[in-house]
Order: sequence, then C-alpha cells, then structure tokens
Amino acid sequence: MMDDVNFWLGYLTNGKHLTWYASFQFTIFAAVVGGSLAVVFGLIGATLKNSRFWPLRLIGSTYSSIVRGVPDVLFFLFFPLAFEQGVEWVMASQVCTPDTIAAQSAAWPPCKEANWFLGTPEYLILASVSLGLVYGAFATNVIHGAMRSVPRGQLEAARAYGMTARQVLWRIHIRQMWIYALPGLSNVWMLIVKATSLLSLLQIADIVLWADRLGAPNFLPAVGLVHEDWRWRYYLVLFVFYILVTLVSERAFAALMRRAGRGILVEAR
Amino acid sequence: MAIATASGEQQIPVVAVRDLHKSFGALEVLKGISFSAREGEVVSLIGSSGSGKSTLLRCINMLEVPDSGTVSIDGEEIRLRGAAQQRQIADENQIRRIRSELGMVFQSFNLWAHMTILENVMEAPLVVQRRNRAEVEQEALAMLGKVGIREKADAYPAQLSGGQQQRAAIARALCINPRVMLFDEPTSALDPELEVEVLRVIKVLADEGRTMVLVTHDMEFARSVSDRVIFLHLGMIEEEGSPEAVFGNTQSPRLRQFLNAANHQ
Repeated sequence: MMDDVNFWLGYLTNGKHLTWYASFQFTIFAAVVGGSLAVVFGLIGATLKNSRFWPLRLIGSTYSSIVRGVPDVLFFLFFPLAFEQGVEWVMASQVCTPDTIAAQSAAWPPCKEANWFLGTPEYLILASVSLGLVYGAFATNVIHGAMRSVPRGQLEAARAYGMTARQVLWRIHIRQMWIYALPGLSNVWMLIVKATSLLSLLQIADIVLWADRLGAPNFLPAVGLVHEDWRWRYYLVLFVFYILVTLVSERAFAALMRRAGRGILVEAR
Repeated sequence: MAIATASGEQQIPVVAVRDLHKSFGALEVLKGISFSAREGEVVSLIGSSGSGKSTLLRCINMLEVPDSGTVSIDGEEIRLRGAAQQRQIADENQIRRIRSELGMVFQSFNLWAHMTILENVMEAPLVVQRRNRAEVEQEALAMLGKVGIREKADAYPAQLSGGQQQRAAIARALCINPRVMLFDEPTSALDPELEVEVLRVIKVLADEGRTMVLVTHDMEFARSVSDRVIFLHLGMIEEEGSPEAVFGNTQSPRLRQFLNAANHQ
C-alpha cells in the first residue's frame, strides 16, 4: 500500500511530469493574451466598420470576412512564419553584406546575421497574436452587432449635450455595448480556449504534446516496460482541465455581465 | 449674459430660425419656417403628428441638419456646408460649444442607462464644460432637489418611474446652465398621473423666466405656460400669436379643427 503511494508520488512528480504541469502556463498565457488581443482587434475592427469613411469601413469588413473564413490551423502556421521571415527580410537589408551573403549556403535567411532564432517565448507571443487576429475577426462581428444594438437615443442625448464623437464612442457607446456583446464574446473566448490545443504546431511543448509523450508506451532498457499505452488517461486529464476552464469562464462571464449590466439590466419596477 | 433691453436697442433673439427647409427622402417635413425666441420667452410649438414640430425643434441643436435655412443662437449662426440633403455641420467645435448651452429634454428621457441619476446630471458639466467636480456635484444635487428627486441621486434611471426619469432629465438639462431649454414632447411617454409632476416642474422653470422652446400636444399646458404659441401644419406655420389670441380667437380653420379634435380626446 505504502509502496504504491510512494510509487505514484514519485511517478507523478518526476521531471517530465513537472515539465508537463509547467506547460499549462503556455496554454493559459496564450488563451489570456490571445483573448485580450481578440477584444482589442474586435474593437478596432468594429470601429472601422462603423466609420464614416468608406476606406476604413472597407478595411474593417475585409478583415472580418476574410480572416473568419481562413482555417485557424492554417493561419496559425502562416502568420508566425510570415512574420519571422518578414523580420528576417528587413534585417537582411540592413545587416547583410555581399561577403556574408556569399558565405551563407542555405537559401534562407540571406546571411547568418539576419537569422532570427525563435524560442518558445517568441513562438508563444506569435501564437497569441495569431489567436488574437483570427478570433478578433469574430469579435469584430460580435462587437459591431452589439454597437448597433445600443439604443439610438442614448447616443443622440450625448451628442445633444455637446460630447465629441470620441466621447460619445467611449463614454456611452462602448460602455453600453458590452451587455449585447458579452454572450457572443463568451463564445469567441471558448473557441480561443479550444484553439490553444494547437500550440504544439508551433513547436511549443504544450499540455497536449506532453500528454502525448507521457502517455505513450514507456520502455526503459534498465527496467523493461514501465507502462503500456496510457494516452487515454492523460487525455482524460486534459478533458478535465478544459471542462474546468469552461466552468470558470462561465462564472467569470456571468460576473462581467453583472458589472456591464449595472443600471441597465435591473429588474423592471 | 446681460442684454440691453431697456435702452430700446434691437434685442438679439436667443434662438432665431430663418426659412428652414427639411426633407426626409421625398417627404418634405419643413417647408420654410422662420421664428425666434427672445430672452425669457416661452415658445410652444403645437400641431398634429407629422406637422414637423419635433423636426423643427431638433434642427435648433442640429440633431437634424436642415436642407436649407439658418439657425442662430444668440446671434451666432450655426455654420453648415454642402447642399440640400447632403448638408452637414461645418464646424464641429462650434456646434459642440453651442450644444453645450442648449438643454434638451427628450420624449423618451434618454437618460444614460449605465450611469446613476447624479452621474447623468454631472456628465455634461464635467466632460463637456470641464467644470470643477465639487462645484458641479453641489449644483447637480441642488438641481435634483429642485425637481424633487434628490433622494434618487444614486439610483439608476431604470429604477425610477417615467415621471421621475423625466424630472431627472430636466435636472440634467438645467445643470449645464442652458441659454435655452428645448423640450421635445416631454410628457408624451408618460401616464397621465405622472404627467402632472413633470408639467409642474416645467411651469416653475417658465415662471423663472427661462428661455424655452416647447413641443407639446398638451393644449391646456401650452396655454398656461407659453408667451407665444406657434401652430404648425404640414411643415408650415399656420398660425402664431399669444396663447390668448391663438386659443381664444383662432383664425385658421385648420387650427380650429385641430383644437376641437384635441379637446375631444
């Protein structure tokens, strides 16, 4: 009995498992940063779509319609790579000399000095920005619709009292838009949370990658077979994690809704 | 602002509207309207729905931009540019400055739903007029006291009755120290028993000598509160004069018809 407990304690706290536990931070970071960026891009996109100037409107609606249509996996692969090579291209034009270009045997980057090495932190940030861009397009639509739901009289009163367009936007329009936007944004948030399982595509050793590795049949030459194919157990842990995140998110959105609806969602007298 | 009246100098009207035209698509709502309101004068606009009275009022602070014609506040003409239905406000700074002195009261109150009553009243003085907060708060509470809902200062608009909301909206208009109060059918959305409390407040303001332009469907009230009554019919001024003349010695058959209908509601 004691041996069993000791075994499991030792097994679950070995180095690989600790790395696995630590990798949850990547998932949470990507979700939180990606989610925040999605709201920011959504606000920008919705403001552009509401703009009085048609070129800005065009940018806003192009963003929301094109990016929503691209598979998130594809965008996830495309954006960080394109960004990395773009940076390298700019760097190359600054630091490369004919000599260093001649010395470089690979096709890319043009010279060694222009190489930008991406580690986990860099990939994580690029992944979060990708999430923000993809789901910001959805948020754009959600927020655009929410802004149209704010009663016209509220904005009219603000204009009638001499507020600037910017004051009307920030003090009245955006403040009142949340109660209409939050249900849609909570959907977008759940999609972002689910999309964090794609992090391993960018060579980030995330929770999914580790569950895969740890669950695979484990064979050590010195001991023999440690365990067989245990992947479903590890995947089950991920299921539970994602369900917990869902529950916490629902409570958080309920609290946000109460805050945003203060005064607006009061019970009718 | 002191205006030389005793010297016999020509007095500049606080509101002067000249030859206003406005169409919505093919529908011509205002067909050349001119009127003015002098300092301390209460002008009521009456007429059946569709006569253009609300549109006319909304042209004074440019919530609706007229297709042609001018609006001047204290002799300063609001600058517009463009022609006909593309006409728009030419100078955002000017219109904001002018609007910050026009206290508008809407039919549906339009109190900002996410702010408390006190915040509603303090909003424009603070963020538009950029006045001192402590001073504004004191004045806002005084205004809420004046309209009789000081104890509702920390409530939200949705927690108030319609009559209380409209009185709060009047306090909001008062707190900007307006040159003119603009009332757009202030009691039309209210039950009759709530109308009274709002009308009483407006009457007090009229008796204080505030300049007011009032769109109303309440003939009794228009008669008791106005210095001048303007009857609009199909986008034109059909009859205009003192309440005694307009109601007591009606000239236009249209107005007679309208008043008969109003009396038999």
